[in-house]
Amino acid sequence: MNNYKDDLTATVQELSHAYEELSLLYRVAGMFASLSIDDICSRMVDEAIDTLGVKTAAVLFLDDKTGVLYSKISRGSWDNTRTFSRDAEVIWKTIQTRKPSAFCRIAETPYRDYIPGVRSLMVCPIQGKVKTIGAIVVADKEGDQEFFSSDTKLLMAISSQAGLSVENAMLHAELEGLLLGAIRSLVKALEATSHWTAGHTERVTEYALAIGRLLNLQGDLLEKLKISSLLHDIGKIATPREILNKNCALSESELIEIKKHPGVGAEILGEMVQFNEVILCIKYHHEHWDGKNSLFGLKYEEIPLLARILSVADTFDALTSDRPYRPRREREEAIQEIKRCSGSQFDPAVVDAFLAWVNSTTLQYQAPLP
Amino acid sequence: MSKVIVVDDEPFILMMIEDKLKTAKIDVVTVRESRHALERIRNERPDLIILDWMMPGLSGIDLCRRIKADPDLRDIPIFMLTAKGQDTDEEQGLQCGVSRYITKPFSPKSLLEMVQETVGNEQL
Repeated sequence: MNNYKDDLTATVQELSHAYEELSLLYRVAGMFASLSIDDICSRMVDEAIDTLGVKTAAVLFLDDKTGVLYSKISRGSWDNTRTFSRDAEVIWKTIQTRKPSAFCRIAETPYRDYIPGVRSLMVCPIQGKVKTIGAIVVADKEGDQEFFSSDTKLLMAISSQAGLSVENAMLHAELEGLLLGAIRSLVKALEATSHWTAGHTERVTEYALAIGRLLNLQGDLLEKLKISSLLHDIGKIATPREILNKNCALSESELIEIKKHPGVGAEILGEMVQFNEVILCIKYHHEHWDGKNSLFGLKYEEIPLLARILSVADTFDALTSDRPYRPRREREEAIQEIKRCSGSQFDPAVVDAFLAWVNSTTLQYQAPLP
Repeated sequence: MSKVIVVDDEPFILMMIEDKLKTAKIDVVTVRESRHALERIRNERPDLIILDWMMPGLSGIDLCRRIKADPDLRDIPIFMLTAKGQDTDEEQGLQCGVSRYITKPFSPKSLLEMVQETVGNEQL
């Protein structure tokens, strides 16, 4: 009879562990859904400390280039400068076998020298779908208890959920980097056609973003403004070099040629369907607020806000930069010119934001020497 | 010693909660049939009541209403266990005087912590 009772108690305890794990899985599902790697990692260590009742937790990332594990984030008594090369078997065994390992008395193992100041230790690999991200380490349970297999399952539940999210975030960052890299390459190709425009793109981008922030643009929209600004003159790739570099006033037909660049730019980028707002911003960045002299006949709010911002930023930089056919204007003079055109060429609300920015900054760009 | 009454029609949940709370020296009374619960509560006078929401016969929320309607019992705090996703129940439950709403599957460890917060931790 007593045997049955013991069995039942053991079963209940086992079920209880399983229930704990189940509740954790419910809780962490979606918890790591973030595109910030730091965010995911910090939630991981918090969750590990909470669920397992350990004093220390650390996330280690594998550096693909050097093949060394470094500390990404930690809580408790963990030295963040610690790195683990391949001979640090205690951690690497986990990475290689993709299985967790636990040491209840690490001082009694050959691994004691790798992680000084720790009594008990458990390591779990952090695995994405295609790559090994690194490992999560927890150490020293409260009350100096041993690690049980239920603890291993809990830590695995955390690391496998988080692994996928970290991998997603990494891919996202990589794609974003690739996109910006491609955009900057295009800009370089453009600037190679005319030394007069060198630096123009970067400055316009900076001005436009400053105005955008003052207009309370955020996140995604600000990012689109940045990309639009970087690419706004891309259509000039199709403008004959002689016109771009001409050092006297342009003729009527040359002006017509130059004015094609917003439309051409939009055409060049037309394949990138995800870029619709960027394309429209580029297409309409020479439209005039009141519609008079608009290249495409748009006026007022018909012109996308991003284009209205870009228009002011672009004009201000053009005025304050030397051109082959005229010297640059003084900063104050350029500001007056923008003000004068508020309500006709430019959206007054954008001009107000521009003035607020320009009056609060001492920034004075020098046009690069030819 | 604090006393907790747990009412749930699932025997495993009862055993698991009992096992967990006993590790913290909390006296646990388990009730499987909700229609007998009110009587047990009157007799046992627990410091805390844990009710399952979904029970055949008398639901946790009905039981909760009856407890709160009894002047002798209404001050006993109540925890309500419910299945995941019953968002609107939370509002209803709290209106019935439930002090905590705990979603199944819950962590036995954090349930114990919540119980200790409410009835006091006698191990300390």
